[in-house]
Amino acid sequence: MKRLKHLAALSLFLVCLFHSGPAYGKVYIDIDSPAFQKLPIAIADFKPLRSVVAKSDLPVWFADALSRDLLLTGYFNVIDRRAFLEDPGQAGITEEGTRFGDWSTIGAEYLVKGGYQMDDRELVLELRLFDVTKGTLVVGKKYIGKPDDRSRIVRQFANEIILALTGEAGVFDTRIAFVKKGSSAAELYTINFDGSDLRRITHYNSLTLSPRWSPDGRRLAFTSFKDGNPDIYLQDLESGKTEKLVSYSGLNLPGSWSRDGVKLLVTLSREGSPGIYDMTVGNKMLQRLTRESSINVSPVRSPDEKQIAFVSNRNGSPQIYIMDAEGGNVRRLTMEGNYNTSPAWSPKGKKIAYEGSVNGQFKIFAIDEEGGAPRQITFAGGDHESPSWSPDGRYLVYSVRGAGRSRIEIINAGGQNSRPLQEGGDACQSPFWSPRLR
Amino acid sequence: MKRSLFWVGLIALVLCVSVAFLTGCAKKAALKETAMAAPGSTPPAAKASPTPSKSSDDAAAREKALRDQAAREKAARDAAAKEAAERAKREAAARAAAILKELQIPDINFDYDKYNLKPLAQSTLKAAAPAYLKYQDYKLVVEGHCDERGTVEYNLALGEKRAVEAAKYLVDLGIAKERIKTISYGKEMPLDKGHDEAAWAKNRRDRFVIFPPVK
Repeated sequence: MKRLKHLAALSLFLVCLFHSGPAYGKVYIDIDSPAFQKLPIAIADFKPLRSVVAKSDLPVWFADALSRDLLLTGYFNVIDRRAFLEDPGQAGITEEGTRFGDWSTIGAEYLVKGGYQMDDRELVLELRLFDVTKGTLVVGKKYIGKPDDRSRIVRQFANEIILALTGEAGVFDTRIAFVKKGSSAAELYTINFDGSDLRRITHYNSLTLSPRWSPDGRRLAFTSFKDGNPDIYLQDLESGKTEKLVSYSGLNLPGSWSRDGVKLLVTLSREGSPGIYDMTVGNKMLQRLTRESSINVSPVRSPDEKQIAFVSNRNGSPQIYIMDAEGGNVRRLTMEGNYNTSPAWSPKGKKIAYEGSVNGQFKIFAIDEEGGAPRQITFAGGDHESPSWSPDGRYLVYSVRGAGRSRIEIINAGGQNSRPLQEGGDACQSPFWSPRLR
Repeated sequence: MKRSLFWVGLIALVLCVSVAFLTGCAKKAALKETAMAAPGSTPPAAKASPTPSKSSDDAAAREKALRDQAAREKAARDAAAKEAAERAKREAAARAAAILKELQIPDINFDYDKYNLKPLAQSTLKAAAPAYLKYQDYKLVVEGHCDERGTVEYNLALGEKRAVEAAKYLVDLGIAKERIKTISYGKEMPLDKGHDEAAWAKNRRDRFVIFPPVK
């Protein structure tokens, strides 16, 4: 993480290096519009910054790494390099050295060119995104780092591309926590958005469930049965230090943090029935929000923190309800179906994703926070459960179960471009998206 | 005269030699006997060993016999005590097992997404209650379980309700609240790993775990 900070500082410093024209009046592409069409983009093989005689596979490696990252976003069609017309020997990596006509002919609307210089100790990367139609530079960055950082630098520039085109950075700097079940235990893992760098978080040889990132991304709250009872723990991810946070008799489940990290919504059954409480993490003070004898579980805060969505079966079947932050003004949100659970409030507000049962199978839905008709997001076979939004509100991660197999999947919020993130174990479940990690 | 002296001398010599020879032979035979007796152990060796005075020998033997007798008696006493202890232990274990069997509550089952106690579950708990009133120092954990369908968290809550419902019912039957604990495993620990209604029906259950008094 420190290295990333270092990189961020460098790239900030170097923003002025490749001036991309005035930022006012900039029109961003509306990725979320239903009419959105994938952007055709060409990524030229990278060039050595100093002329080098030795043949290297780095030019192709860099171009492929960036292609992979951009494809993951679901926003791009990456044009096959075999269609390229421009003579790579003649072309440069700046506007002056680029024949935009050669790129518009093959249908590219955007073009990335990159130059590198790498020795044992240092990697220098110059990256530019061009608007082919206008023949202009959209964004250009220079990165200096270690050779080992090259995947990370490429991801960082992919983030910049998304930022420049859509007005909000990509989510390449995020991770997903999830539970992997074996035959006798369920442990927590985290993994990068692009599927790299899988890390095991717990080694309790017990049931461990419901991971919840703290808003600073440094800690995970979760429930574990490791001491017998389902208690809430809090682990510092850097040091691995874990403290037992809540251990009332009965069920103790973490729900949703407040943005300042001061409070955590929890589900406790200390009064007999599972109910929702808002807990001040520092002194463990509890504010009871539901007082029903029914089930009340899975609370999640709205982005403005004025409302809480949760699951209750107070009218017979599990449905999503919304209440004010203090527990008042409860109203039922989902009206269709007899099993709607796992609400996840979009960080961009307005929408709540959840899992609902259709013909005996669970699929992911989204519904406006004011109610109305839900929109089904996943349709493929199997049970789709536990949705969680990316911090930009553009993706959902969820678990898939079916035919004896289980995996974690990511899908664009519009319902396109689903891809597996992690597979294996008896079950992969309860994915939860991190905030941006810096 | 000289001649008769010669004969006397000769006879004497012969006698001497033969005596010497005979005794030598006897010694050899005795040696042989001890040598042979040694590996064979007790009686011949005892005979061959130089015999101490007869009276002291008898005293030691008596003493030894007494010692042996005491040891034998002690061993018998110990064995009897051990056997008694083991029998007591066996009996205690059998008693404990009998109590456990008496306290045993079979799984009770629930309908999908429900935690109300069905008539069969109620009669199961009613039948179990007297034993818990009889053996007051035994405690009980009620585990709530669900089938694999639905959310991890909702099922944890549902399992808790299933456990709490049974616990409440047992409390209403007179068992002290403090003796009953509930825990929910949600859908995480199915009894039957199948993916059909037969498996699900078995998995939607309360399991009762008895905790004997800790000594």
